[in-house]
Amino acid sequence: MRFKTELRNIRTFSKLVAALNTLEKIAWVRLDDDTVRFTVIPDTGSQVWASLSVDTIFDSYHIQSNEANNTINLELPLGPLQRALKSALNSNHASLRLTKRDGIPMLSMTIHTMTKDAPSAARRNKNNSNNNNNNDDQMGSYNDDNDPFSENSLYQQESLELTMKREREKVITQDIPVRVLHPDTVETIMQPKVREPDVHIMFPPLLQVKAISDRFTKLAITTAASSSSSSRREAQNPKLELSATMHGSLRLRLIADTLDITSVWDSCLENPELDPAVLPVPIEEHPSTKYREAGPDKWATVRVDGKDWSRVLSVGRLEASRVIACFTHEHALILYVYVRRADDDYPGVGAGRGGDDGDDVVTYYVSSINT
Amino acid sequence: MVILNFTLSEEGVSVFHDALACMYKFSDDVCLEARRDKLTLTTLNISKSAYVCFTFAANRFFSRYHFEGNAQYRDRFFCQLYIRSLLSIFRSRQGGDSARDKDASIERCDVAIDDGPGKKSRLIARISCRNGITASHSLPFESKPPTHAKFEKDEAGNRWSISSSTLRQLMDHFGPGIELLDINTDDDDHVVNFTCFTDKVQKRGPHGNEAVLKKPLHTNISVEMAEFNEVEVQDKLHIIISVKDFRAILQHAQIISGELATYYSEPGRPMKLSYSADGILCEFILMTVGEQDAITQKHKNTRARASKTPKPGSGPGPGPASKPDGSVANNEAKDVPKPAQKPPQQKTPPQPRQTQFEIRPPPIPPRSPVAARTDRSDSPLFVEQGDEDRQWDPVDREDEEEMDNARVEWNATGEPVLLRHFPLVARKKMANIHSRTRRPCELAVYWQDRLCPVMSQTDLLGDSSQPSSFLRHVSCCLLCLFFC
Repeated sequence: MRFKTELRNIRTFSKLVAALNTLEKIAWVRLDDDTVRFTVIPDTGSQVWASLSVDTIFDSYHIQSNEANNTINLELPLGPLQRALKSALNSNHASLRLTKRDGIPMLSMTIHTMTKDAPSAARRNKNNSNNNNNNDDQMGSYNDDNDPFSENSLYQQESLELTMKREREKVITQDIPVRVLHPDTVETIMQPKVREPDVHIMFPPLLQVKAISDRFTKLAITTAASSSSSSRREAQNPKLELSATMHGSLRLRLIADTLDITSVWDSCLENPELDPAVLPVPIEEHPSTKYREAGPDKWATVRVDGKDWSRVLSVGRLEASRVIACFTHEHALILYVYVRRADDDYPGVGAGRGGDDGDDVVTYYVSSINT
Repeated sequence: MVILNFTLSEEGVSVFHDALACMYKFSDDVCLEARRDKLTLTTLNISKSAYVCFTFAANRFFSRYHFEGNAQYRDRFFCQLYIRSLLSIFRSRQGGDSARDKDASIERCDVAIDDGPGKKSRLIARISCRNGITASHSLPFESKPPTHAKFEKDEAGNRWSISSSTLRQLMDHFGPGIELLDINTDDDDHVVNFTCFTDKVQKRGPHGNEAVLKKPLHTNISVEMAEFNEVEVQDKLHIIISVKDFRAILQHAQIISGELATYYSEPGRPMKLSYSADGILCEFILMTVGEQDAITQKHKNTRARASKTPKPGSGPGPGPASKPDGSVANNEAKDVPKPAQKPPQQKTPPQPRQTQFEIRPPPIPPRSPVAARTDRSDSPLFVEQGDEDRQWDPVDREDEEEMDNARVEWNATGEPVLLRHFPLVARKKMANIHSRTRRPCELAVYWQDRLCPVMSQTDLLGDSSQPSSFLRHVSCCLLCLFFC
């Protein structure tokens, strides 16, 4: 079993990991010849299935195993991975490989980096060059007797050559503990099955959605905190109601004991066309067609946990090229977040499912809370 | 009577504050020691594994500095203060809206220490701000002699120095949850490695696999030797210190100066880090994790410690006379894994260093120097401590000052198992001694009865059993005195 690669688009990789890390600490990573898949399945809350084509984040990629497609399944902690990627952010180059240390498998990230030229060193250079002036020391001038060369055995003057060190590359190795999973153990993990969506809609910028959602959630918590205790438990997990139509409207609503607030994007969003070729049913029979025909007042609605939804929306940091939400009425919301590639803006292909067509997509499965 | 009087400039105040802030990461209180030519701030952390010393040169650091001894403090004045209260005094005041308001920043700070018979002992700091406001603070202090850690530079053959800012930036790559820093060299690759790790999660039960994922990042940073200003380190030598201390030091070092120098000998022996700038010298003495500790931690087996064998060739081996004692001690450690000691070990495996300082009771002025000399010459003092009648040897007449000066020394072997609660005992006794030393007649009896058990413990613990090492110790004491 071998895995070795150079890293590229570290910023994107790092943001993805950060977004996943908000939902769960440990991820299942599946590597094969073509794709990298990160899966996060928290005990409670939304699942994420992120699928990236290998060359989005990797370069000079080598993988080898006994499984089909050279698949390797790993379980890894996201916190350390995020931390390691942070080290790699401004590096000259970084690579990742699967190795073993003390018998424990490790994902070892090797980072070649430089330290920034120290400002104090620069200042010191200056000092040494105009030492005669006896000032501008970073410590300030403390000499009252105005004798910078007074003999003092305790404090030796530094010699000039010390300050002229050439900056060299440092090699940082970050070892992330991992578990190698047997194919049998991951066989049973499946993407959730959801029936064809009733409404699919292009989401407004996630920052907007997150700002409003978070505001609603906080409102619910604060208002409930001052009201009766019976609703307190409820208040700890405020629920948001998300609805959308096939006529370009999205609605965000909070209903609490004393509150009912709604925010609507009114008919200003796009409902992308479906590609009939990939649909399991003829386009005429597809539920979305029925919703479209039912007019702009036919809403598909899901209820989500406010805090969990906020964690889901933290994917916004990825600067997605677009986000498509699929509403299945009273059942689930699926969020497809298309990852923008740093080097070339990858054109999306319809509202495809998963990353089978080579798209880099992060898929969130948010199930609706039934009351 | 004003004993000490000095003035700090604006920059001086901030440097003073930085120094205190750094010390505050190690301890709650600081010892101030003033002499004619310098002001020294020292502190020792609570586990006595780290010692911090900042020296400010009287003529270079201060705008004005005046020390005048009195009868009690002839050559030096010392006191102990809370760092927190000092920090709040010397904290920098921002100018606020410099356009609207007159500058509220500090112009200068006058500090005076008033002490003497019939006087209130106070440290008075008067802060003069640019906007004309003067704030006076009066702090009580405790008259307590400073504790100095000893470091034998001759012994420390390994040294390196590097730009502190480079090192500080490298530290940023270490993730959270790590505790130990292993500094080692590889001559083949011409690199110095800084490796951070922890052994906090080390229980590998049936579900140990889960725990594996909870381990923090294991980070290694290789820095080419050419990057260093000086490297002279034994190949493949691993020296392990606490990351927390190292971080605290670097944080301050980066503010102060461009170069950080370190000196150390071998695992289990102290390491010294120092850097200096105009008028200020910063020194840190850290205890390094002993080899046994390191092995234990590497193998993640706390029991391994019990079966250790005396390390050959490291320092003076146990003398023939002390061998029985030594072996007893070892056997004890081997056969009886003391239950009282085990739990703390398991609870705090990442605790890098047990208390490694060995506090020697302050020497006493001998009744006659001759007696002292005979005592020393015929005493295999540290050899046959088994019998408890041995009297602790007074060092020298000149050591009188040392009466007030509890000297602290690193334990010679750094064996953690036996040393665990010794220093505390020693300290208590010492306190007793302090209260009694004023009456010489009581002294002899007292020393014989009380002190010798302590000394015998010292014997078992350290390898000071050798006369040679004892002599070395004496000479070190003298050196220390000289330095003080």
